[in-house]
Amino acid sequence: MNHAEQIAEATREIFSSMIMLEVTAKEATKRTDPAFSNSISGMVGLAGTVRGNLSIHLPATVATAVTTAFLGMEVESIDDDVCDAIGELANMLAGAVKTAIDPSGSDIKLSMPSTVYGDTYSLDCLDCGISVQVPFDLDGTEFSVELQLAEN
Amino acid sequence: MEFAQKISATTEEIFATMIFLDLAVAEPLTQGKEDLGCHISAMIGLSGDFNALLGIHCPAEVGLAIGGAMLGMDLDEIDDDTKDALGEITNMLAGGLKEAFAAEGTNLLLAIPTTISGSSYKISAPSGSNRIIIPFDLEVGRFYIDLKYSLS
Repeated sequence: MNHAEQIAEATREIFSSMIMLEVTAKEATKRTDPAFSNSISGMVGLAGTVRGNLSIHLPATVATAVTTAFLGMEVESIDDDVCDAIGELANMLAGAVKTAIDPSGSDIKLSMPSTVYGDTYSLDCLDCGISVQVPFDLDGTEFSVELQLAEN
Repeated sequence: MEFAQKISATTEEIFATMIFLDLAVAEPLTQGKEDLGCHISAMIGLSGDFNALLGIHCPAEVGLAIGGAMLGMDLDEIDDDTKDALGEITNMLAGGLKEAFAAEGTNLLLAIPTTISGSSYKISAPSGSNRIIIPFDLEVGRFYIDLKYSLS
């Protein structure tokens, strides 16, 4: 499996089993615009013999809908619950992608997740040799999952 | 583990040897969710014997001054050079912390840096994680080094 397929499978599996939502992968791209508006990004670092970041980027309205489904409680705007949920989602996605990249489980360790949110922000990766972003459709809305790896 | 002491010693060394700016360390903040009012941040994940996320957060003029001093050029807007410089500083800080912990037998691995920039963004870590924020004062203004960690 290439990285786009690993991301697609991990994301489908986690959304379906943990959040009870069906998502459909679209064609993978390489993100060229670093800017996000009115969005939230959850990120987890991959450290070890393979180094990188796994991120999920969601528009605010999609993030609140996903959090509502994930936590089983109504949320309307980006608050601490949404940040925790999106960070945890990034953590689970990173765990699944890590298992696909490193089946032995000995080469990669995950860092602490973080979330970034706001009206306008840009995320740029330093030292990213490999960068794959997979957009997903969720009931007519869209979010994306991105894997960035250092080349070494 | 004396996180604050290791962070300030590493930061002082990097600023003295690589950036050549005089800085003064201020009292650490330990509260969770300060809005630091920053416009450029860089973060890197750490993993291994504990999980962490190390970041530097700067108001625009401070980020430009630090990047400019490191690169030996005048920077007047947050561009790729500024982002690369801040990302590289985070990488060096994380490398310095890794060495400081390794001297005590605590082993850490680094992920890769990400820079965050924009007019309005917030960064959060999982609720329940520990956080230490150390302010540093330069002639041009204040910046913050932030370590979130979990000792599980």
